[in-house]
Amino acid sequence: MTEEGPRLSAREMIERLEPSLSPRRRVRAVAALLAGLAGTVFVAALWWSEPGPLPGRTHLAFALFTVFSLAWACYGGWLLTRRVPLFATDRVVAAWIGLAASVTTAGLVAVVAAQRGTGLGLPLAIGGLLVAAALVLVVRAHARRAALLRRLRELTGQETGGEER
Amino acid sequence: MTDELLVIRAQLGERAALAELVARWQEPVWTYVRRMLDAERADDVTQEIWLAVVRGLPRLREPARFVPWLFTIARRSVTDRLRGQYARELEARAAGEVVAEDPVEAMVDRAELVNALAGLPVLEREILVLFYLEDLSVEDCAQICRIPAGTVKSRLNRARRLLRAHLEEKGYRP
Repeated sequence: MTEEGPRLSAREMIERLEPSLSPRRRVRAVAALLAGLAGTVFVAALWWSEPGPLPGRTHLAFALFTVFSLAWACYGGWLLTRRVPLFATDRVVAAWIGLAASVTTAGLVAVVAAQRGTGLGLPLAIGGLLVAAALVLVVRAHARRAALLRRLRELTGQETGGEER
Repeated sequence: MTDELLVIRAQLGERAALAELVARWQEPVWTYVRRMLDAERADDVTQEIWLAVVRGLPRLREPARFVPWLFTIARRSVTDRLRGQYARELEARAAGEVVAEDPVEAMVDRAELVNALAGLPVLEREILVLFYLEDLSVEDCAQICRIPAGTVKSRLNRARRLLRAHLEEKGYRP
């Protein structure tokens, strides 16, 4: 057998991987997830707090809007878990954006509910849940990054200590 | 710099570390794929493997176990292509595979091995490539192929027997 090697050099391989590593794709995925989730909560809150009996067509429109937002949220979630790699530092940034988006959504929903006088209990509970979930993600992202940095320091300490492979 | 250090830096989001990791492991991954598949598919499958690696890297929990993880992904892509062949061979020997306890001890010359590999059944070929060409330990091979270490050893024994028969058939005498 003649000596053969990969047709693609390592550099070419990295170039081919570039599209899935581009920052724009990551931002798009995070934006799709957040906009989808925020949209779902907001439209559902509007629907819920709509005063008086609604005609069938309005119900249908609200339902369609909710499904549409939910579909975007699912698409963003699928991108982030299956298609776009979110590294530790990206995760920290994404989690903070998520927290800001959840606080804004919770605030908006609460304002809408207060203006319409439909009771603040449920909107506050849902908003709170959203913010709590975002907070958990922030804490986890920071913890993961800190753990990686700790291990990095341990390993670089070892290497400079003369244990390099 | 160790693989673990590179993996951690890549997981933190350092692009240069990821590039270095690809540069370091692209050829071994390609070698494994090429020994298992024809030249036509080797490059495409290698690219598919690296895409899966990049996507999965943020979730890798044990950076020190990068290499077995990498070859597990590579093996998944290869088995997808050879599904029929794997299934037939596994079925054929479901009854007969015995667990060997003896330590692996055989010297096989790399060049001859590469030449003779193409003629072996996939299960034996795979284990020889991982163990001899990629220099992985029996434990790593077991993790990658998802079989007990004893089965790795017995497959290695059988693979060496087949290889010897194959080489002798071609007129080579050790």
